[in-house]
Amino acid sequence: MTNAALARPVDATDVDTDVTLEARIAAACARVAPLWPLKHFVAVNPFLGFTGQSFAATAATFERVVRTRILMPRAFYRQALEQGRIDDAALKQALQLHPETGLDLDRLKQALHANAPSGAPPAVVATVAEVLDRLAEGDRYVSLVAFMIDEISAFCASYFDEGQANWPNPARKLKLYAAWRTLAMVDRNPEVMGIKGFRKAVAALPTDPVKAIGVIVERLGIPDRAVEDYLVRALFDLGWSAYARYVGWSAELDGRRDDTLVDLLAIRLAWGFALFEARTDAAFKTAWALAMEEAAKLPVDHRLDETPELAVDIVLQDAYEIVFRRNLVARLVASAGGAAMAGRTARPQVQAAFCIDVRSEIFRRALETACPEAETIGFAGFFGFPIEYVPIGHLRGGAQCPVLLKPAFIVCEAVKGANDVEEAEVLGLRLLRRRVAKAWKSFKVSAVSSFSFVETAGLGFAAKIATDSAGVTRPVPSPVVDGLDPDIAARVGPRLAPGKLEQRATGFAGSQAVDMAEAVLKAMSLTGPFARLVLLAGHGSTTVNNPHASGLDCGACGGHTGEANARVAAAILNDAWVREGLRTRGIDIPSDCWFLGALHDTTTDDVKLFDEEDVPAALAADLARLKTRLADAAHLARLERRALFGIKDASGVDAAIKARSHDWSQVRPEWGLAGNAAFIAAPRSLTRGLDLSGRAFLHSYTHEQDRDHRVLELIMTAPMVVASWINLQYYGSTVNNAAFGSGNKALHNIVGQLGVLEGNAGDLRVGLPWQSVHDGSRFVHEPVRLNVFIAAPEAAMDDILRRHGGVCDLVTNGWVMLHSLGDGGAIRRCVRPGVWVAASGA
Amino acid sequence: MITLLPCLAALAPLTLCLAGILPCRGSARDFVRHAIVAAAASLAFVVVAGLACALVGPGRSPLLGGAGLGLSLQVDTLSAILCVLVGFIGLVVVKYSLNYLDGDPGQVRFTRWLLLTLASVLTLLISGNLVLLLAAWIATSVSLGRLLLFYATRPAAIRASRKKFVASRLGDGCLAMAAVLLYLHFGTLEIADLAAQARAGGDIGAPAITMAALLIVATAMLKSAQLPLHGWLIEVMETPTPVSALLHAGIINAGGFLVLRLGDILLLATPALDVLAVVGGVTALFGSLVMLTQTSVKVQLAYSTVAQMGFMLLQCGLGAFSAALLHIVAHSLYKAHAFLSSGSIIDLARASWTPSPGGQPHPARLILALAGVVGLTLLIGWGLGMTLRSNPAQIALGSVLLMGLVHLMANAIDERPNAFVVARGIVTAAGVAALYFALQAATAWLVAGSVPVGRPVDGTAPMLIAALVVISFAAVTLFQNQMMRRADAPFWIAAYVHLRNGLYLNTLANRLVLTLWPRTSNTLSTNP
Repeated sequence: MTNAALARPVDATDVDTDVTLEARIAAACARVAPLWPLKHFVAVNPFLGFTGQSFAATAATFERVVRTRILMPRAFYRQALEQGRIDDAALKQALQLHPETGLDLDRLKQALHANAPSGAPPAVVATVAEVLDRLAEGDRYVSLVAFMIDEISAFCASYFDEGQANWPNPARKLKLYAAWRTLAMVDRNPEVMGIKGFRKAVAALPTDPVKAIGVIVERLGIPDRAVEDYLVRALFDLGWSAYARYVGWSAELDGRRDDTLVDLLAIRLAWGFALFEARTDAAFKTAWALAMEEAAKLPVDHRLDETPELAVDIVLQDAYEIVFRRNLVARLVASAGGAAMAGRTARPQVQAAFCIDVRSEIFRRALETACPEAETIGFAGFFGFPIEYVPIGHLRGGAQCPVLLKPAFIVCEAVKGANDVEEAEVLGLRLLRRRVAKAWKSFKVSAVSSFSFVETAGLGFAAKIATDSAGVTRPVPSPVVDGLDPDIAARVGPRLAPGKLEQRATGFAGSQAVDMAEAVLKAMSLTGPFARLVLLAGHGSTTVNNPHASGLDCGACGGHTGEANARVAAAILNDAWVREGLRTRGIDIPSDCWFLGALHDTTTDDVKLFDEEDVPAALAADLARLKTRLADAAHLARLERRALFGIKDASGVDAAIKARSHDWSQVRPEWGLAGNAAFIAAPRSLTRGLDLSGRAFLHSYTHEQDRDHRVLELIMTAPMVVASWINLQYYGSTVNNAAFGSGNKALHNIVGQLGVLEGNAGDLRVGLPWQSVHDGSRFVHEPVRLNVFIAAPEAAMDDILRRHGGVCDLVTNGWVMLHSLGDGGAIRRCVRPGVWVAASGA
Repeated sequence: MITLLPCLAALAPLTLCLAGILPCRGSARDFVRHAIVAAAASLAFVVVAGLACALVGPGRSPLLGGAGLGLSLQVDTLSAILCVLVGFIGLVVVKYSLNYLDGDPGQVRFTRWLLLTLASVLTLLISGNLVLLLAAWIATSVSLGRLLLFYATRPAAIRASRKKFVASRLGDGCLAMAAVLLYLHFGTLEIADLAAQARAGGDIGAPAITMAALLIVATAMLKSAQLPLHGWLIEVMETPTPVSALLHAGIINAGGFLVLRLGDILLLATPALDVLAVVGGVTALFGSLVMLTQTSVKVQLAYSTVAQMGFMLLQCGLGAFSAALLHIVAHSLYKAHAFLSSGSIIDLARASWTPSPGGQPHPARLILALAGVVGLTLLIGWGLGMTLRSNPAQIALGSVLLMGLVHLMANAIDERPNAFVVARGIVTAAGVAALYFALQAATAWLVAGSVPVGRPVDGTAPMLIAALVVISFAAVTLFQNQMMRRADAPFWIAAYVHLRNGLYLNTLANRLVLTLWPRTSNTLSTNP
């Protein structure tokens, strides 16, 4: 039973049942976290629908309702204790956090050495599928549950398909449930498999999904108080729920209402109902009646003492995190205590801003080593410009901003320095090549011509296999430059000038650019003094043959590389008219200061500079020096990263790491954000020199410059939340990859050009592949909830927490550990708004 | 030299076998590195053997055994071409798995079975005696079976491998019975002697031979996933991608190899060839239609393989043996690449966001294309004096090519036909056609003597089959170009649903397997 359900009077029988049902459906649907398609895959907090309750309560809810574990196996903690990764002090401290468990150190240790009993926790509500499973003694193929999942998944794939099948689902223009009913009424597959009367059962259901759900719930005899749990349980059976939720999420961003997830829920229930109707034997009927009886007498509480085994694991997880936090706090205190808190006074030689991404931490540290006179800055990699970036020849582009936002500007890609004639030529050529490619592809995959294709073109693949295998060529052209000549591809970039694309205004007009520039500089705490060269480096990855490639790109840019955003920001900040406008608003960028857009390749650590030719001649020497330093830093960063790749030979590290970026068989081209565990918003001076091993998001923030705490509010409501999404995605994919991850990359099978299946069929998989968190012998990601440290007044943070319920939930319910980083290095942890306690460092 | 040649080729499977069974001393990666060296060496051996074969002609080892039974090796153009193909794919696949399975606790085991599978296939290809061929045939399916069950706790993998097991054992049984019948009739199982005796003729239509030929055809159809026992092939993606690449590129076409190898015997029993053509043709259409409806890349590729193998066996059945060999080689290379690069679909999808220039396809485009192609056909047919009765294979396969070209032209012409785009379409189609004929001619020249040139055109069966091929393939072409995307009438919706489910054949097979083996493991472990 969920808290939300608890909050309602359970005996309110006089309430209009339809309204109640709709509310319950909405509540169940709100539990599901969205899944972004692979074209722009971004991290999502898999517990998004549960942050309103505590971490421990969520663990209990998941075990009881969804039958899914959100903690590591007991053996993991045991090993951590044996290796000294957990100690007695931490265990004691963790026990103090959970006095209600009634555990003491001895009993905890006893429990630690026993494996958790495998028996399922008491039932909350069993679905038809689950009862069938139980009767079949876990043989899901006999119970037909796996078959049901396969069938729903195959239907969803055909409905949501973005172009894989040549013969599209003929009902795809209908709404999901209506489309399913249309097809299900002629689909003989369930009956061939032995589910009697399937088509009849479907035809008898109401055409309205909500009514259908109502009918099914009633006919199954689900007790009133278990209905919401039943719906949640049904939704969590399907990975496609997450995609349906994404469809709804996108619609909501556009201000539209979308019921795709409700439709899917109706389909899932209808399937369960059909299975129910097909089984008339006494064994099943008895089992079902028993399950409903159990469901009627729900446990009404989530207190940990009711689930002693879970309580043990919760305490152990807390102890595991306490040790990590203790060490980190101790090192931060030492570092911050010694640092001068004084603001900037002298003009630095070079400033380099990177994304807050944890991968930037390694590179920033390397750059500071290679170039001690450089000042590095951390900021969300979209540099405050929420743009839709439209590539040449396209009419729509990807949203290059955090998924919590909607793009505010449309920026078109254009060929730099090209006149209209040349632009038209480039566009015409690209479209022509696309059409040729399309015709050729149609020759390749259509029913009859595919035979002739093989006989004429097949032999040519011998050479392609050889060069792809050697890493000389890409299996397919990079989508970014496909259809463009290399010299043209080198010249493309964002066009800022106002224009039109199909009646939509593009570029920046009027004072928009100045407003944006001012907001960005203030949010970065970068209001002067400005260096001669200011590098704005977005980031992206370079991988081939990797379905999850966009997941390695910049999350703040919506799963795209940060190139466009960095170049837009740099171009606007270099604009003389914008600088004039900024001067009137009190930000004086000197005339000998130049902003440089760049892209940090997180796979190879190379930094590519853009629009170098525009840099004033007077800065040529600075530019040359910066490029050398960046190359040195790249080498240092690669040296640091080589340990995780198992590259033994230090002299060959550059070549070895670059080879990974064009190896079509590489399942771990880079480690992405694995290891992320902390978020620090503070001046860089507090952490400079501290080796955070690529595990911390670093956001530059100087609270002295933020009198009204508007920037602080932005940090706590946007980057901090996004960082927690990423952190919890890694957490989920680590603790239970079968439920929250996408499984084994070696088995991935891309479906509908939007997601992956594991193997030849089955459900849509969410989250990260196993290979992204585990190296084969150990977890590279440590399951630690995000530790946030913000150098800001506690009262200001309290105020922001009180005004933003969602953020406050994250903090008070233990989804992130918020700390204040005071002057002189004092660190205190926020228990709830207004209550801060000293954080102990060892 | 003639006897040395097979020995040289035999070094390839021996090297692989040795590398596969040697103990693993260092790390898993070191083991795979050694395996790559072994695969490279074996490729070198078969390439040298192939070149030698081209220079001095086919070679044959003495028989180790007696009375026409035992072990012997044979290297001719057919085996040389396929050995080089399998050796190449093998090397690529072993190299691919070095990083692809990095960190998997079963990596060494995986590599061992990969090497042993490759060794079995290479042995199969150079077998000179049906006894050795049968042994290699079984060894291939057994070692492949171990790879298909690499993740042995995945229920779907277990189910698929059981289906595969049934199909394989049926195939083994058929081949064994065929061997017995052939031995009783010819008194030897030396393949070269069998072929020589068959070519001498005289026994055309003998019941024992017809029976043996039908069994050989059945073996080939079971191996190459033909209807109705194709289901296992579309469900074996429960194993790492390199296995799929090897299976679809190097093993699935063993059925075609068997037909080509024993082609001379099959020519004595043309009803068997007719069966092959019919089943192959139906499977080709079935597979390619179902492929259109599939939404996951690997299942789509698997149905494509079903279809391509069907087409290849159709070619065999029509007597176009060298065309079938070209098809095997070309398809293998294409499919190996398609599987190994299947993770790139998202890149392709990202690149293809560009909308088409607008509007519905112009109705005239197919008419234009059809008119051009039909005109061309009539012209060529009239010029060469071919009729459906005298040259059924050429007419049938030629029209499949032409229909492919119609489709290509229709799509190249797209929405705005004008003189330029029509001309461009014609040039493209002509280029493809020229390449097609050049490759066909080259293959025919290359394998002359090692596979039969054609089949006798006897009775009306070949003509009927050819006519059926033309009509049914034309109907599908027309449907796909004109109706598919607008087919929302109830009839077409039903057709879509039935085809998307593969006409329920696989579901039936699954149900059968579940009845035979009701228990499966209930532990679904996805993490290696």
